[in-house]
This record gives sequence, structure tokens and C-alpha cells, in this order.
Amino acid sequence: MESCYKHSIIAMMPVRNEIDRYLNEVLTHLLKWVDKVVILDDASEDDIIEVLGENERIITHKNEYCIFEQNESALRSKLWNLTVKENPDWILAIDADEIFEDRIIDEASLLINQNYYDAICFRIFDFWSSKTHYRVDGGWNPWVKFSPLLIRYIPDINYHWPDRRIHSGRFPHPCDNYIPYYSDIRIKHFGWADPKDHYRKFLFYQNKDIEMSGRVSQHTQSIMIAPQSNDLETWQDAKRLWFRGK
Amino acid sequence: MSKQIGILTTNFYSPDGLRMVYGGAERYGLELTGLLIDLGYEVTWWQIGTGWKREFFHGVKINTIPEIKSEFMTFPSLNQRFHEQAMGIDYVIYFVTFLAYPHSLERSISISHGVFWDYPGFDSKFRTETERMEWLRRYHIALGGPAKVVSVDTNTINWVNATWPGLSHRMEYIPNFVDINSVKPRSKKGDKVKVIFPRRLTSVRGLNEAAYTAKMLTAKYPGEIEFHFVGRGHTDILEAEASKWASENEDIYYYWQPPHIMYKVYAEMDIALLPTKAAEGTSLSCLEAMASGCAVITTHIGGLANMIIHDYNGLLIKPTPDSLLEATEYLFKNENERHRLGENAKEVARAFDIKHWKHKWEKIINRVFK
Repeated sequence: MESCYKHSIIAMMPVRNEIDRYLNEVLTHLLKWVDKVVILDDASEDDIIEVLGENERIITHKNEYCIFEQNESALRSKLWNLTVKENPDWILAIDADEIFEDRIIDEASLLINQNYYDAICFRIFDFWSSKTHYRVDGGWNPWVKFSPLLIRYIPDINYHWPDRRIHSGRFPHPCDNYIPYYSDIRIKHFGWADPKDHYRKFLFYQNKDIEMSGRVSQHTQSIMIAPQSNDLETWQDAKRLWFRGK
Repeated sequence: MSKQIGILTTNFYSPDGLRMVYGGAERYGLELTGLLIDLGYEVTWWQIGTGWKREFFHGVKINTIPEIKSEFMTFPSLNQRFHEQAMGIDYVIYFVTFLAYPHSLERSISISHGVFWDYPGFDSKFRTETERMEWLRRYHIALGGPAKVVSVDTNTINWVNATWPGLSHRMEYIPNFVDINSVKPRSKKGDKVKVIFPRRLTSVRGLNEAAYTAKMLTAKYPGEIEFHFVGRGHTDILEAEASKWASENEDIYYYWQPPHIMYKVYAEMDIALLPTKAAEGTSLSCLEAMASGCAVITTHIGGLANMIIHDYNGLLIKPTPDSLLEATEYLFKNENERHRLGENAKEVARAFDIKHWKHKWEKIINRVFK
């Protein structure tokens, strides 16, 4: 099952107004284990692309106007097309506020250099009002769900995107049917780590919920309900194994 | 046109399709599917589930049957609906013996992965002797239906021979396997003794005894011994708890890895703990640990004694916390013994190379399906 061919990973990442957030930290970590990062700036009002500077492993593109707020799948689809032009073996779909725990640096190549699994799924932990605690109540429970974030790119397949304005998924169909491997390596999501973002994001998801289903979901409502102390757990990085350099 | 084989199992994935436990049975299923494809068959799987379908092996689909009703440790409705859905197939493999109750195809094979009725809770599943007799009646029918019953250990065969001698001619012993070609060379020695518990997190696999041993020895020899619990739990909560537990002790790790990486993990380990208490066949992880040169500590349960001879290629102990603690500490302190047992284990593991397993399966397939 182990493959002797060394596969490449190209990360694709949509960004918008990321200055003073987590992008530098995310990219520094990513470049330790992926080959390239394709960034699609969704018409940021800041000059994030200029700030990133020249780096042959970071490929940047910019939209003239913001697509995400109108149609998430259109944004994801455009980013996908830009990414496949780079001839990836594997594609990582990651956001500008997500960081894998360090184990991935040692183990990513082991996970992908095989010929059985086509999708690697991970658990995502939502950090809440801090970079030390994650939320575990209701729909925030990170332990119950794995998300496919790293998939094998198979050039001969006819990929297509669902027409969804929100929660379109990060990959086109038929990636959702790929043979999965559920990895225990976790992802830290800092999108909720700054309490200043909560109300703005609440309004965004509230509007999208009403647009999509006519009512505000319980999960969206929970953004504005402060979690109890036992709804927050302390994050502990998993210990790195011994695969370094092997 | 290729002949079609249907394989019926209970849970390759969880019924909702969201969880796959990477246990030995699943590994067995993947290897068997690959072998059948190599032999020119088309393979389709069925399992209990909410109606989803998916490809689980390149070119091989798994279908689900929304039928979970279990009676006396059998699934008669699942069996019936499988035969209705799989009408076009030529041959059947019942991946678990009791799935061949009440009906089975004439040209079919079932697989025993070991005695599963030896755990303490099993007895309380039957409230009366009549119920117990009903389970036995059904199990007799399940074993008697298929043309052959492949057993991964001799323990099951001996039980069948002693209980229903008339069925003995149906039983075929094909022990589990290890892919010797995938074994990695042992890593250079580090400063710590590394101990692995390469099992799913369940009590029948001796999880609590291994956790007790890890807790005691890491406290007694801090920085000198390291424990690696490597395997998925049956629930998300269990995995969360195991992660937290491991994070609280510098010398205890919890993680899991796909099969192709496991060989790299074993290459780093000195001692493998398989303190099984019940429901065991010829454990794949025991064979992988042996082939990788680990000193194995295990029990006499199920088919484990088919692979380990006490004090020659491993230690066979009683499945109790103190026995496991004592044996682990003994090997921790005795590097020469670890080395001797590991070298012998490596040699014995060659007899379980996957090429032998494939050859034996091919012979049975040719006999029953052609």
C-alpha cells in the first residue's frame, strides 16, 4: 500500500482582510510541510498580497470584487481551478485561520505516499475567545466530526461544484465519495479566538441562515451565547512522534 | 464475464457510515477483497447501514441494508434482505460466521475470526438455558450452511470439533497474516524502552490492564520507559479521553496510524503488549509486532497461542493487571531477553507471511467457487 513515488501537496486558501489576524502564522507553519500555497484574495480592503511579498512557493491571485459573501461555491470553485493549474498530486483546502498541530510536519508525507486512501479527514477544533481553549458544547463539539481537507487530485475526473451560497464544502464532487482515512492529527481553528469577531460573524451567518432556510439555526444562535466553563476545554498539543527526517 | 462474489458483514463502517474502525477484521476484509479481484472476481460488499453506498476499495462498492435487529446473536432479517438484494451474485462470503443464519448459498464460505463467546458478559446475554440453547441451535445452522468455514485459529476448530463433531469436515484453518515485505528494519536504539499497545481501545483487548501497567511503570521509571497506545476507540468520547489522559503524562502517547505506517511504528518499539481477555483470533497486530522483532507479551486467549510459545518467541501470561505489570517490568529490565524473544518472534512470523495466506485461500476458493 505504501507508494514509492513522492507526492506533492499544494494548499489552496481563500483570504480576505487578513492583516493583523493569523495569516503569517498559518503560512509559516504550512510552508514547513506543503510544497506550495495558492492564495485567492477575495477583494481584501487591506494590501495583504503586497505584505506577503515575493515567495516562489506562494502563488497569489486577487478578485476585483468579493465573491464569498454572494456565493461561497463560486469562490471555492475559482480557487480550485487556479490550484489544479499547479499540477498537484494532493490538494489541501485550508482557511487563513487554521493551523494543524505540529505532528503533520512529520507525518504528512507518510499519509499521502500510499495508493489506497484518496481523502484524508481531520477533526477541527474551534478556539473560543482565546488561543488556549476550544469549545465543545452542541454543534461545536470537535470530536464528533471529521472533515476531508486533504484529497488526492485525479486529473481525469470530471469535477463539479454544488450551487450553494454557503457551506458549499471545500472540494467539488466527487471528492466527497473518495475513500477516506480519518486522521487523529487535529486542526486548530482560530476564527472564533478573538471575541471582537463574534458579533460580525453572527450577523453574517444569521443573514445567510434566513436567506437559505428562513430561520436562524441553533448553531448560529449559540455564537452569541457565552459558553459555560465546562463547555471549554484546554488545548494540549499532541506530542510529536519520531518520524522527523525519515 | 467475471463471476460475482457478495460479501456480507455487520459493520465495516459504523451504520451511519461516518466511522471506520481500523481493526484487524477490516484489514482482513481489504486483503481478501484484493485477492478476489486478483483472481478475476467482481466483489460487492453489504453491511448494516442507513441506506448509504460508497466505494470502499478502488472499484468495489459497499451497500447497506437498514436492518439492525439482532436475535440470539444472529441477524436473520439482515440475512434475508441480503439474499433478496444480492440475487444476481454467484457466490457468497459470510464475513462473520453467524451471518450465514438461517440461509446460505450452496456455494458459499464463512469466516470465523475467533471465539467471540468467551467474554464474561456473554453469559448474561441469555436469561434462561432455553435461550442459550436457541443461540447454539442457530449457530449450528450457521456453521452447517456454507460449504466451508475458514477459521483464523485452531481454538474455534477445536471447540466445533468437541461440540458438533459432524461439522468438523467443514472447518479450514487459515491463520492470519503479516506482509513480511512491508516490515521495516529496526530503528537504532534510543535511550528509552518503548512499549506499544497496538489495539483498539476496548476492555476485551486488555486496555485497562495496559493503562494500569503504563501508569505504574512510567511513575516508577520516569524518562526510561515510554508507552504508545495506538488504535482507535469505539466512540469519540473514548478517543477524547485517551488523548487527554496521554497529554497528562510525558511518557504516554495516544494516536493511531493507517496500516502502511504501522510497520514504521513497530520498527521503533521494543515490547508489544497484547493482553487480550476475550474474543481473539490470530491477531494481525501480534503478527506485525512479531515480524518487526518486538518482544511480545500476550495471553493464551483465542488463537494467540497459535503464534506465541511461552518463553521462546514471547511471553504468555494470564490476562490480569499484575501479570502484565510483572511481565512488562521483567522485559523492561532485561534487554537480552527482549532481544532473544524478538529475534525468535521474527523467525516464527515468517510462517505467517501473507503469501501463505493467499495460497491457502486460493485453494479453498477454487474448490468451492469453481
